Amino acid sequence: MKRIYTTLRISFLAFLTCILLNTTAFAQEEATEDTIIETPVERPVRPAFESGLLFDAATTTLYPSKTLEMIIQHRFGVINFCDDNTDFLGIWGASNIRIGMNYSILKNLTVGVGATKYNKMEDLQLKYRIIEQTRSNSIPVTVMFYGVAGIDGSVKSKWDATSESDSAKYKFSNRLNYFAQIVVSRRFNDHLSLQIAPGFTHYNCINKMVVSNNDTSYYDHDRISLSFAGRYKFSPQGSFILSADYPFKIQKISEHSEANSDKVFVAKPNISVGFEISTSTHAFHLYLANSQGILPQEGLMWNKNDFFEGQFLIGLNITRLWNF
Amino acid sequence: MKNSIKLAAIICVVIMFVSANMAMAQKAGGPWTVPAKYKAMKSAVKAGDASINSVGKETYNKHCKSCHGAKGLGDGPKAANLKTSTGDFSSAKFQAYSDGELYYMSFIGRDEMPNFEKKILDEADRWAVIMYMRTMKK
Repeated sequence: MKRIYTTLRISFLAFLTCILLNTTAFAQEEATEDTIIETPVERPVRPAFESGLLFDAATTTLYPSKTLEMIIQHRFGVINFCDDNTDFLGIWGASNIRIGMNYSILKNLTVGVGATKYNKMEDLQLKYRIIEQTRSNSIPVTVMFYGVAGIDGSVKSKWDATSESDSAKYKFSNRLNYFAQIVVSRRFNDHLSLQIAPGFTHYNCINKMVVSNNDTSYYDHDRISLSFAGRYKFSPQGSFILSADYPFKIQKISEHSEANSDKVFVAKPNISVGFEISTSTHAFHLYLANSQGILPQEGLMWNKNDFFEGQFLIGLNITRLWNF
Repeated sequence: MKNSIKLAAIICVVIMFVSANMAMAQKAGGPWTVPAKYKAMKSAVKAGDASINSVGKETYNKHCKSCHGAKGLGDGPKAANLKTSTGDFSSAKFQAYSDGELYYMSFIGRDEMPNFEKKILDEADRWAVIMYMRTMKK
């Protein structure tokens, strides 16, 4: 846990240092009877990211009110590098897909719905921009709240008690899971934008969701995480994009004793690298990632694929905007 | 008799082909009716400003190039699908429009020319696009 806190502290200090290096100081005149100081009109920066979505992460980009955004997120199967590979880089393998719609009610409030194939997950989403970065740098970052409520649409037997020792009975609330995140981003210049986002994941019921005969791991209902994302724009419409989501095992919020702490399952970090092509109304992402889950909580709680062991897959996202 | 039928069939096919092509041919857009409020507007970005070739160019490439082409010649990949010709930004006729008129035509739009007010939100960025289009003059 000490190492986790140290990592969090160093990451936060590094991010703060990046922001401070770009901060400029303003000299101010004292007001006199003959001096009229005009307060400059603060203008928000252009969006840090071309789209409200980066891989499966929410960015701080929100659209003007009455904008409808359609999202298709597709993850092909994990690429099989064995000699007898016949799944064409995972394209013929088991894939996951999400279709979603986001609507901007206000310029700083967006709500959304979606449906994902794995676990037949339906979701409700909300993005609320709290403060926005300005061109004068009087506000150096954009801060946004992002929340997702997921409803697992699997059959009831997924939660029914199947052993004498397990007294869990199916309730609708078993299906629910939540993800909440504070996203802090900065547009450093016309090329580079970065964001950092601490998050919290909660699953109402995990008892019978993962246990199999050979599975001796313990599972927690909650998980704290830290996510990073960035883009480097190399042309008016093309960017390199990168993100990483790290779930942490924190003993103080674990429901298992320290003695069993080694047996508690913690998902592997989700690493995504790829390209973004953006047009006036579309954004396309083509990338490699390792989590087959699409909703943030699915990857942070259950991902078993290790990117650095070659267990990655091809992903493709498309977003499209309509203004009303 | 057989030759007459063949001749009639060929003439019918030719007429149908020509009609289809005439229907698909692009028409030049009619004159714009620009409200007085927009006619009076002047660019907030001066010629030679650094933002013209950075923000102006980037924004034009993202939102406008696909129809109007990289040099404003109306040869973008989507131009052929339009019923109305997208015009030639390098022409003297286009460059003779006032700043405000160009602003109205670019961001308010009409018919197949979309409204871009919600896509390009900042006033200075919009004027940078207008001034970038002025650099396309022959």
